[in-house]
Amino acid sequence: MTARILLADDHALVRAGLRRILDAEPDLTVSAEAADGAEAVELARTVGPDLAVLDVSMPRMTGLQAAREIARRAPAVRILVLSMHDNEQYFFAALQAGACGYVLKSAADEDLVEACRAALRGESFLYAGAAGALVRDYLERLRRGEPIPRAVLTPREEQVVKLIAEGRTSREIAGALVISPKTVERHRANVLAKLGMRDRTELTRYAVRAGLIEP
Amino acid sequence: MSRAISLSLFWRVCLINGSVLAAFTLVLALSPVTVSARPILSELVVLAAGLAVTVVVNGVLLRSVLRPLDRLTAVMSDVDLRQPGSRLVEVAGPARPLVAGFNDMVERLEAERTASTTRALHAQEAERQRIAQELHDEVGQSLTAVLLGLKQAVDLAPPEVAAELELVRETTRTSLEEVRRISQRLRPGVLTDLGLLTSLSSLASDLTARTGIVVDRAFVPGLPALTPEVELVVYRVAQEALTNVARHSGARSVELALSRRGDRLVLGVSDDGAGGARPGSGAGIQGMTERAQMVGGRLEVRSHQGRGTEVVLEVPLPEVTV
Repeated sequence: MTARILLADDHALVRAGLRRILDAEPDLTVSAEAADGAEAVELARTVGPDLAVLDVSMPRMTGLQAAREIARRAPAVRILVLSMHDNEQYFFAALQAGACGYVLKSAADEDLVEACRAALRGESFLYAGAAGALVRDYLERLRRGEPIPRAVLTPREEQVVKLIAEGRTSREIAGALVISPKTVERHRANVLAKLGMRDRTELTRYAVRAGLIEP
Repeated sequence: MSRAISLSLFWRVCLINGSVLAAFTLVLALSPVTVSARPILSELVVLAAGLAVTVVVNGVLLRSVLRPLDRLTAVMSDVDLRQPGSRLVEVAGPARPLVAGFNDMVERLEAERTASTTRALHAQEAERQRIAQELHDEVGQSLTAVLLGLKQAVDLAPPEVAAELELVRETTRTSLEEVRRISQRLRPGVLTDLGLLTSLSSLASDLTARTGIVVDRAFVPGLPALTPEVELVVYRVAQEALTNVARHSGARSVELALSRRGDRLVLGVSDDGAGGARPGSGAGIQGMTERAQMVGGRLEVRSHQGRGTEVVLEVPLPEVTV
C-alpha cells in the first residue's frame, strides 16, 4: 500500500528534488504538489493525502499556518515540516501547530524518507539538533535528581543516547557504532519512546513540563 | 524679552572702557594735578598711580562681564555628545545671548546626532534583512536543490563515482549550513516569526550549547506587546550582552531577565564573571547605548572587578490605547 504524499515548497527546483527522492521509494509516492500554503491546505482537503510535507517559509500562507489549517480541517493528514531553521524553538512551534516531525533542508537528502516513514507510523521525527537538545535536557534533569521516570535502556541504547545528546546525525551515529542506518533509526525510535518522546502528544507534553515551550 | 535690556557684549565693554577713561580724564582735568611742559618725577608718579587705579577698576568691571566666557570655554571642552544633556546654566546680563545660543547649538547637535544614528542603524538593519532574505531564498534554496540532486546521483552512480560525489555532497551540506548560520545572524527569523520571549530563549540555549554557560531565564509573564522596532532593540542588546559574556567574562552562569517597572520594560543580563568592563568603552557598549537611545530608552552597564557585570536596558512601553 503506497502512501500518498502532498509536497509543498515555493521553490520549484527544491520541490522537484524532493519529489524525485520520495518517488524513488517503493512505499512512497507524491500525489500532489503545492507552491504556497493556501494551495497546500486546499489540496490537503480535496486530495486527502496520507502525509503532507510543508516548507516553513512559503508565500500567501506560511508552512506553520498551513499546518494549523490542515490539522483543523483535514485532521487525518499527518504533517511533516521542512525548514532551513536549525532552531528548536521552530521545532516546538511546528509541534504546537500540528506537525509530528521536523526535517532540516540541509539534511533532507538523508532524513526525509525516514521522517516520512516515521510520520506514517504515527511516530515523531526530530532533526539531530532538536533530538540533541531534548535528550540533553532529559539527562540534565536526571542529573539534578528531578522526579522523572527513569528509562531503562539497553547498553547499545545508552551509547545511542550519548551520541544523540551530542547532536550527531543518524549517519554519524551509524559510522561511530559501525551499524547500519536502518538499525540506528530503530534504536533512535526505541530510545525516544522510552524517554517519553515517541509521538507528537508525548513530545508536546514533555516540552511543556520541561518549560522548553514558552507560554 | 530681557534681550533688549541686556546690551551686547561689545557695547558693554565699550561702555565700561569709555566710562573709566572718561572718569580718568575728568579727574585729570578737574583736579589740581598739573603736568608741566617738562614733566617732573612727582607728576609722573601721580599719573602712574592714577593710571594703575584706572586699570584695576577697569579690570574689575570687565571681569564680571567676561567671566561667563571662561566658564563657557570650560564647559565646551567637556561636552560629549555621547552623554547628552550638558548645558550651561542660564545667566542674566550680557553673556545671556551667548549662553542661550550655546545651549541651542548643543541641543541641535544632539538632535542631529540622534537622528543620524537612527538613520544609520535603520539602514544597517534593512541591509541585513535584505541580505539574509536573499541568502535564505536564493542561495539556500539553490544549494538545497543541489544537495537533493546529488543524493539521486550518488544512488545511481557506479562506486568510484559515488565516492567522489559523496565528498561533493558533504561540501555542499557544509555550505548550506554556513549560509543558514550567516542568514540567522543577520536577521533573527525567530524574532519576527515566533516573538521576543522565544527569540531570547533561543539566544540563551545557543549560548549554553556553544559555551556550556548556564543561563537562568526569568521572564515575568503578562508583559505587553512591543513595537517591532523596540523588540529588535531588546533582541540586539541581549545578543550583544550575551556575546560579551561568552567572550570576555569567564562567567559560569548568567541571568537573563525581562520584567516591567512602571511604564518601562527592563531587560537585565547579569553574569558571575570577572567584571571590570569600563562603561563607555568599546564599540559594542556604544552600539547598545545608541540603539537604546534610538527608541527613547536607556542603557546602564554596572561592572565591578571580581563581581561580575550587569547590563540593564530600559525601554518605554507603548501607551495603552483605550
